[in-house]
Amino acid sequence: MIFVIDDDELMAECIANATQKDTMSFLNAIDAMSKISEGVIPNLIFLDILLDGPDGFTFLNELVSYDDTAKIPVVIVTSLKLHNRSLSAYGVIGVLDKDTMRPEDVRRYARQYAE
Amino acid sequence: MIEEVDGILLAAHELKVPLAVIRQLAFALDESSTHNQQIRTKIVSVSERAIRQVNDLAKIRRLEDGLFTMEPVAVREVCDAVSYELRQLFQYNSRDLHIKYKNKSKLVIANRDLLCSIVYNFLINAMHYSGDGAKTEMIVNEVWDKTRITVRDYGPALPMDIWREIKKGWMDKPTSIAMRPGSSGLGLYIASSFSRYMNAKIGAVRHKDGTSFYVELITSKQASLF
Repeated sequence: MIFVIDDDELMAECIANATQKDTMSFLNAIDAMSKISEGVIPNLIFLDILLDGPDGFTFLNELVSYDDTAKIPVVIVTSLKLHNRSLSAYGVIGVLDKDTMRPEDVRRYARQYAE
Repeated sequence: MIEEVDGILLAAHELKVPLAVIRQLAFALDESSTHNQQIRTKIVSVSERAIRQVNDLAKIRRLEDGLFTMEPVAVREVCDAVSYELRQLFQYNSRDLHIKYKNKSKLVIANRDLLCSIVYNFLINAMHYSGDGAKTEMIVNEVWDKTRITVRDYGPALPMDIWREIKKGWMDKPTSIAMRPGSSGLGLYIASSFSRYMNAKIGAVRHKDGTSFYVELITSKQASLF
């Protein structure tokens, strides 16, 4: 299972379709966290940073606070330029730039982490 | 004044979101026919161009924060990267892009992102104002202790008043170019703002059959590995 968290519904849909895997889309971090609390642990999360309500960094902090979620791989999908920031401590395995990313970039992560 | 500029920054961010979505939706188009492939490529190219312009507008706002690091930048690598990015757009608009390097690859003192934007805007301008099948030339050469990147188009000649303004080395505001219909002068204004930040100079040469726009950058004394 892959989670896609993006406050833009169409963008979330594009990312979900690109994975070619089972996905659940969330428009905010709270709903995604609630789902995880219900015991649905995703294999991979595509996470936008600028979200309505708690932002992506708050969500990442929340994830690393618990043993069972700290190791979920996360791919940041954003228009912010984050390339120089080290986010591996938050389980971030990659950053995709919304301005330049292609479906195959999304698919590569999905194949690697959500088989 | 500050509020107005911040409004531009906000608008730029708001515009970027739908443009990025349009680009992603284009990738979802069925590619079973050549026609669809062409439509997809065009939508992607046009949306990427719009995203870049919106990003450039946001960068202009951030120039005063001084966040753009100046460092030795390989001119040839920048020109190659931008021309590669624009190759499909030129192709679909039936334009011919030629690049001439008249010296060994040099390093210049610049910010790579800003320099890419200047070259990009010059090339887009040249593509827009050249006719079908027309040639656009990008030439890199040395002028004394500077490195000059020139983009020559074969469109309408540049009006005298705009040429005089560019001769100062920068433009204070976007100025529409009357003899170049459809031009808001935004690309030139962006190039002007970025070159000023980098202590570079933009200029233009009028030809009977078009215009050359150039940017002159300080050549780095550091030895180039490229």
